[in-house]
Amino acid sequence: MTMDETVEQYKEDFDLFPTANDKIEYIFDLGKKHTTLCDAEKNDETFVEGCASAAWLMGECKDGILILRGEGTSEMAKGMLTLLLDIFGNRTPDEILNFNPSKLQEMGVVELLSPVRQQSLEAFLNKVYTYAQRCKKGE
Amino acid sequence: MTLEIKDLHAKIGDKEILKGLNLILEEGKVHAIMGPNGAGKSTLSKAIVGHYDVEVTQGDILYKNKSIIDMEAEERALEGIFLSFQHPVEIPGVNNAYFLRTALNAKRKHEGKEELNAAEFLRAMKGHLEALGMKSDMISRSLNEGFSGGEKKRNEILQMLILEPKVIILDEIDSGLDIDALRAVSEGINKMKDGKRSFLVITHYSRILDYIEPDYIHVLKEGKVVKTAGIELVEHLEEHGYDTIVEDAGL
Repeated sequence: MTMDETVEQYKEDFDLFPTANDKIEYIFDLGKKHTTLCDAEKNDETFVEGCASAAWLMGECKDGILILRGEGTSEMAKGMLTLLLDIFGNRTPDEILNFNPSKLQEMGVVELLSPVRQQSLEAFLNKVYTYAQRCKKGE
Repeated sequence: MTLEIKDLHAKIGDKEILKGLNLILEEGKVHAIMGPNGAGKSTLSKAIVGHYDVEVTQGDILYKNKSIIDMEAEERALEGIFLSFQHPVEIPGVNNAYFLRTALNAKRKHEGKEELNAAEFLRAMKGHLEALGMKSDMISRSLNEGFSGGEKKRNEILQMLILEPKVIILDEIDSGLDIDALRAVSEGINKMKDGKRSFLVITHYSRILDYIEPDYIHVLKEGKVVKTAGIELVEHLEEHGYDTIVEDAGL
């Protein structure tokens, strides 16, 4: 599934929920499949600056594919990370860099986030783009 | 056979209601239970599912040849025994979708299957809601709170459809239903017929039986099954009432 298709599928999923509370509860639900990092992987390098709650994101380039793994500390961060890693993880750098981030708005989720959480999303995206650029350069 | 009830005696409080009831539910068959008020029909259904109202004092209930008499109600439910209540309770504050998904996921977990997340669950529900003529907002409301009689019964059938039980007991599922609701509920029941599931349908009326076409009619009187026959028995009952049946049984 492409990144656009994954976003479209999440949009369909979120459309199933009639209220904002239901949608947020679904984000929490997604967080149940949330991955974790080992303590050594949670460092200054992987720390996502500007997140409302502590979060770490690891990016590893393997055979031209960016593998993303992360960990959040709040329910919302865990859910959003799970969702975003599903969209951005296991992609080529070009796929990520050519993806229009405003597409994320189509899921109907971003507007549910508080301004602080929206900043967290931006911080997450910045981190992903940094990893994608490094991967593209073969670093 | 799926379920065998042997010489069952049961009481509610100090009153003995079931007095040596014998009944066999065959695999894949639809059994209807009819009988006058107070005969013990609802008590029988509660005894099968292990409802706390009912105390079994003698006899046994075998499910797949194993006694379930000492099993808790939730264990029986996980094993596939389902009861739709005559009077479904309203539980304010408990979201209907959350309740149904929790029940479904408990069963899936018991069966070693992966639990469904909220979106997967709602997708699975969509077809059932449409088939039952239920508005989608009904699942985001509190469980049965403010539902009409027909809506409550449809919600019971919705629960049955998603849980896919093996033994289905419907206690007066047809009471209080208008024609459209009765048809929708009956279609929901018929959808579950797969030649393996067994049904026990408790009713006072022939209307629902016209839709679901039972294989057997059992007449319950004074805590015992006094007659078992085919669908033709319904016509006889409507014409002559339960008194003649009692005489046939020599009570």
